[in-house]
Amino acid sequence: MSWAAHDLEPYAFQRHFGRRIAFVPLLVGSYAPDMLSKWFVYGINVFGVELKADDPVQFHRGWPGVGFTHSLAFGLLIAALILLVSGSRIWAFSFLLGHWAHSLTDVGDTIGTMLFFPLSTETIGIGAWAYAGQVGRTLDAGAYYSGLGFVWDGFWIAYGLLSWRVLTRAYFRETIVAADPRFWGWCGRWLPETALLVLYRTSFFYGSTRWAAWLIWAHVVHDFPFDLSWGGPHWIPAAHD
Amino acid sequence: MKAASFLSGELRLYLVAAVVYIALGVAVPDFLWSWVEGAAFLLVAVWIVPELVRRLR
Repeated sequence: MSWAAHDLEPYAFQRHFGRRIAFVPLLVGSYAPDMLSKWFVYGINVFGVELKADDPVQFHRGWPGVGFTHSLAFGLLIAALILLVSGSRIWAFSFLLGHWAHSLTDVGDTIGTMLFFPLSTETIGIGAWAYAGQVGRTLDAGAYYSGLGFVWDGFWIAYGLLSWRVLTRAYFRETIVAADPRFWGWCGRWLPETALLVLYRTSFFYGSTRWAAWLIWAHVVHDFPFDLSWGGPHWIPAAHD
Repeated sequence: MKAASFLSGELRLYLVAAVVYIALGVAVPDFLWSWVEGAAFLLVAVWIVPELVRRLR
């Protein structure tokens, strides 16, 4: 799995697509494959009862499981539903772009994604960094930010910083709002522009700050060893397909 | 000109918010899991607090 990349990729797309995409469905698409399943992969404690998938890897990326949410066809299906319900081509396309970016990004780990479900249940992955969701979220964080995953996220932070113009107020007014006036106009009835701008920038802020925080946590507060070899870090029992 | 005003005013607020958020996250990693909490933190740090300070002046 990837971490901050899913927060940051939408800003890179925004830079290149401008008014041809709507930011909110793009962002929702970028989060969509994990939106309803991640908590069950890591597990949560509700009043002393632990809710967690028996086989987190199978549940998250496999079939049977909810691995189909990472397939290209699932993104297409939801985009078609968005088009049907909203009648907005730009919303449907933006969601699809975000969703496919997520699905293709997660190909980077040692499990990969069922890209071609339902035609195939085979997961496709290049194994650049260890998939370790099954060991729990804290250890997974330590592992991800010790291997090539953090380099991958760092690339998107750097790309985002080079694309800083997309974060400006002028860009927000002239491109983000102009591409999706109905949504932002509706929000503008309740919140001032400064607050809308904060919400627009939140994922960039969230992705880049937690990248920094996890790095500090893993390597300054704790002593997780860096391992930038392919498929690393190898000190974690990575899941493989 | 636009870049200059962005750097001088808003960016400073965001940078302070980022430093505080990173420090909080390192101290309490549970704080780093929720996008909603991150958004709420940012709204408080760069909109609500500065707006309150402006009104109180």
